[in-house]
Amino acid sequence: MYARLNSHPFKIVRWALLALLLILPPLIFENRGYYLRISPLVLMFAGLGGAWNIIGGFANQVSLGHAAFFGAGAYTSTLLFKFTGISPWVGMMAAGGVAGILSLVIAVPTFRLRGHYFALGTIAFAEILRVLFLYFKGITEGPVGLCVPFVGHSIWVFQFHGNVGYYLTALALLCLTFFVAYRVKMGRLGYQLRALSSSHEAAEVVGVDTYRAKLWASILSSVLTGAWGTFYAQYLCFIDPDTVFGFWTFSVKIAMVVILGGLGTIWGPLVGALILIPLDEWTNVVFTGNLAAVSRLIYGGLLIGLILWQPRGLLYWLSQVVERRRQNEIRMASTKMEASHE
Amino acid sequence: MTNLLQAIFNGMLTGGVYAVVSVGLSLVFGIVDVVNFAQPEFLMMGMFVAYFMVLMSGLDPILLSPLVFLVVFVFGAIVQKVLIERVLNAPLVAQIFLTVAVAMVMTSAAQLLFGADFRSSPTFYTTIAVHVGPFQFSLPQILAFVVSGSMAAILWAFMEWTDVGRAIRATAQNRTAAVLVGVNPYRMYVLAFAIGTGLAGAAGAVILPYSYVFPTIGHDWGLIMFTVVVLGGLGSVPGALVAGLVIGVIQSLTSVYLPTQLQNLVVFIVFLLTLAYRPAGLLGR
Repeated sequence: MYARLNSHPFKIVRWALLALLLILPPLIFENRGYYLRISPLVLMFAGLGGAWNIIGGFANQVSLGHAAFFGAGAYTSTLLFKFTGISPWVGMMAAGGVAGILSLVIAVPTFRLRGHYFALGTIAFAEILRVLFLYFKGITEGPVGLCVPFVGHSIWVFQFHGNVGYYLTALALLCLTFFVAYRVKMGRLGYQLRALSSSHEAAEVVGVDTYRAKLWASILSSVLTGAWGTFYAQYLCFIDPDTVFGFWTFSVKIAMVVILGGLGTIWGPLVGALILIPLDEWTNVVFTGNLAAVSRLIYGGLLIGLILWQPRGLLYWLSQVVERRRQNEIRMASTKMEASHE
Repeated sequence: MTNLLQAIFNGMLTGGVYAVVSVGLSLVFGIVDVVNFAQPEFLMMGMFVAYFMVLMSGLDPILLSPLVFLVVFVFGAIVQKVLIERVLNAPLVAQIFLTVAVAMVMTSAAQLLFGADFRSSPTFYTTIAVHVGPFQFSLPQILAFVVSGSMAAILWAFMEWTDVGRAIRATAQNRTAAVLVGVNPYRMYVLAFAIGTGLAGAAGAVILPYSYVFPTIGHDWGLIMFTVVVLGGLGSVPGALVAGLVIGVIQSLTSVYLPTQLQNLVVFIVFLLTLAYRPAGLLGR
């Protein structure tokens, strides 16, 4: 599909361009400015989308509850930092661990479910966590939310001066996420997931342990999502259950980034996040007060339009366009050759 | 003991409404094979339509509920025809997110049109309580229960005894066979979706005398609806009716014995457990 885009010289140029593009924002934007304020969020949603894609895209197990892992990650590192002073960097690993364990817990009731049922089960799981975190006020402060204690601008406690530090952290975490997604997609697990995504039964027949494959995909996906939760907590310095465990705020948005960009592709989430997050921020700035709802109206309208036009996302559309072009070129080249033979 | 029985009776009253709100969702899934994540927003729409009809006509919202049903029915038919119909063969994600996007658009449109205020439409009987022995019931809830029950009965009779109802059921059972005997499945999908959403809208009118209307009220109802539908078995209409009552009672009982913040926790756990161990639902095969 990407044959032309993957030809050697093109590949190097493409990677160089991408690297330049990603390293550019901290160089051209002001450290405390608005643009560098949203850039890390773009990377974060690209990363969350990339993590979601491992189970939602490759395996087609549509999760609408990834906020569960995200919120659990955010709370794990923040509570550790608050009560024991353990650096959020360590907390981030703990966050990944907790999210990974949670994914094992949720696997028990949901892995037998297919399609709509799986999506519904994951929603319920995230809601259960949200209610619990709201209820146990003694530890979590409930609906009031938690402030990440401010210690000072120090790299050791994951608190940077301005936004550049956060941007670079997000970029590193994004690279890790995409690397994992790439390895999964190209490796044995990726083939197993693709097999089961169209039919569990057929995959079982050819010897795929579908439960095991889904479990691994789910663990990888949720560990990464949990780590991003820590990033979010450190970046915004404030978390509350209704936001980090929220259906609309995270569960839906994470999946939306992927659907917009390209389901089951490596780079789709980045494309989706590059469009969706700036749009979101822009509409939030332009439409305030009574018009605040306009932003979601645009959002929803755009999503409807996109799904009707390209239910498989923008990258799929792009690859189709490229493919059609290539076919045309081949056809033209072969007619030329025939003409010269005569 | 009196408290316990009172809680059970109250739960059944609210459960009757849950049943009717959810039965439409189940109907749509059973026939169109799409989970309509925007179903709670159709309830919200029904409440607003009823609210403004009451303002204009001064009539009682329950009397107006057939009219509200019609309005939401037409809107639902349009949504199915213009939007849902195009993704019937698309990947699952596209179907899920199309209805999620519809929910988003409906909520934000309501916010733009009506603001985020809480509105209410009290009637003369809103605060009346009926005493039966040691128990007391709120009159609007009894009315809502009775009207919901009759709506469910009408739906059942329609599906069971009319040709159109039979055609709808035939499409759900075997689409190819239905086409062979001359049923246009797409028309049946539109009809089923419109009936399903219309019922939620009518239920909105029925609960108006005792509940507030605001654009995000759908969020409060969403998980209840899905729990009821899953407990009853996705696609099973009688299942949704029984499950509505069960969930109403469970919710009412937990609010007696547990702090209110945890009221929904038990509902969600029931939901997950049903999914895991009885995915076909209470009355499932």
